[in-house]
Amino acid sequence: MIMRRGQQLLLPASPVFIWCSLLAALLLDMLPLGRVPWMPDFLALVLVFWNVHQPLRIGIGLAFMFGLGVDVHQSSLLGQHALSYTALSFFASMIHRRLLWFTVPSQAVQVLPLFLAAHLVELVVRLINGNVFPGWTFLLAPLLEASLWPVASVILLVPQRRAPDPDANRPL
Amino acid sequence: MSLGTLDRTPPPIFKQGPSALSKLILFSALALFLMVADSRFNVTQPLRAVLATALYPVQWLALQPVRVGRAVGDYFITARQAQAQSEAASQIMATQAIRSSQVEQLTLENSRLRKLLDLREQLKVDAVTAEVLYDAADPYTRKIIIGKGMAQGIVLGSPVIDEFGVLGQVTLVHPLVSEVTLIIDRDLAIPVLNVRTGARSLAFGDAGAGGLELRFMGSTADVQQGDLLTTSGVDGVYPPGLPVARIDTIERRAESAFARIHCIPLALVSGARHLLVLQPQSAQIPPRPAEAEAAAPAKKGGRP
Repeated sequence: MIMRRGQQLLLPASPVFIWCSLLAALLLDMLPLGRVPWMPDFLALVLVFWNVHQPLRIGIGLAFMFGLGVDVHQSSLLGQHALSYTALSFFASMIHRRLLWFTVPSQAVQVLPLFLAAHLVELVVRLINGNVFPGWTFLLAPLLEASLWPVASVILLVPQRRAPDPDANRPL
Repeated sequence: MSLGTLDRTPPPIFKQGPSALSKLILFSALALFLMVADSRFNVTQPLRAVLATALYPVQWLALQPVRVGRAVGDYFITARQAQAQSEAASQIMATQAIRSSQVEQLTLENSRLRKLLDLREQLKVDAVTAEVLYDAADPYTRKIIIGKGMAQGIVLGSPVIDEFGVLGQVTLVHPLVSEVTLIIDRDLAIPVLNVRTGARSLAFGDAGAGGLELRFMGSTADVQQGDLLTTSGVDGVYPPGLPVARIDTIERRAESAFARIHCIPLALVSGARHLLVLQPQSAQIPPRPAEAEAAAPAKKGGRP
């Protein structure tokens, strides 16, 4: 197996954990934290993460469905988050073979344009639909999402980093 | 199968499914179709209702921390705050008691006069109380979600008020929740009456400034700072006489024929917790004799 030097061999990902993490991200997005344009989209982050790490399980169709859910929750125009998540998921599947060869901080830099593109798609759709410009602080959202990438790659890979043969003397 | 993962099943070699590009094209086209269907043809309401019902458990779960926080916050208010609140409430009660006794007398007098004049009785207004679940987390629009829906008999287009004035209008009804567009949303318009002069006009939401804008008033029109605007009742949606806003600033400019009038809503547009959903008046008004035209919700465009 071809691997990056010094990388740990991971256990297979459990589909239950993938789904639970996606639902938890949706829950985080639904928390009423106020109406600010720079609020990071946790669901987009987790979707990109699993798109890169498990491209056979999490794909464009699922991203589209989650986008519809977010649209209904925010009661915005039906399809705008679906479109931006579809684009996000497509770009993620374009770079997934290359991305994991880099260290985690440089991965974060490389996913920043993806999040920026997703937010721009959403902004353009809203402007076409006749909404007002929300202010330049919305550009902080992709930055925050990209800076959460290392956090996500620690938390979401914890179950796969367990020892392959657990015994009584090992803590995890 | 990802890099450096110990997977026990080999990745498929031949059965790869459709390519990513074709999936992108398919789902983007679907999303565009949905957007057009939603904004132009208003046919996506069943899909929205189904998705909203499926999402309801997750929403309920996401709201629990807020409910707990509110309950704890309410429990730990200080004695001074409680005293101040009860004092303010009793003051309001006292002023309202005077007015309500007057109102009883006036309604009695009014009903006698109406009977004398053989006029139709004034329309009655039915109301349902509802709790605000959350502000829609959309920084572009001003909407709130309330915890009553089709199951509790909420009707599309119903006016929504709180204890201080008109809050908005129901613009989407799901089985268990409804969406209320606030009067400061830029897509909502409300017909108002200036109580001091009796002039009718239209107030439009002005989300950028967080208030309302009284449009199409000439620069020489008789408006003053502090004028109270109430619903005029000519639209067939809002009952007449509900307070809406108070005029805050008036800019009369030489180059424009219209004055720029900014109003502040009286209702708690950003802090309301409990509100009343009224039945729209259009259900009680008899249809027009010639061309029966149902009263559409007072909105410029988009979804009704």
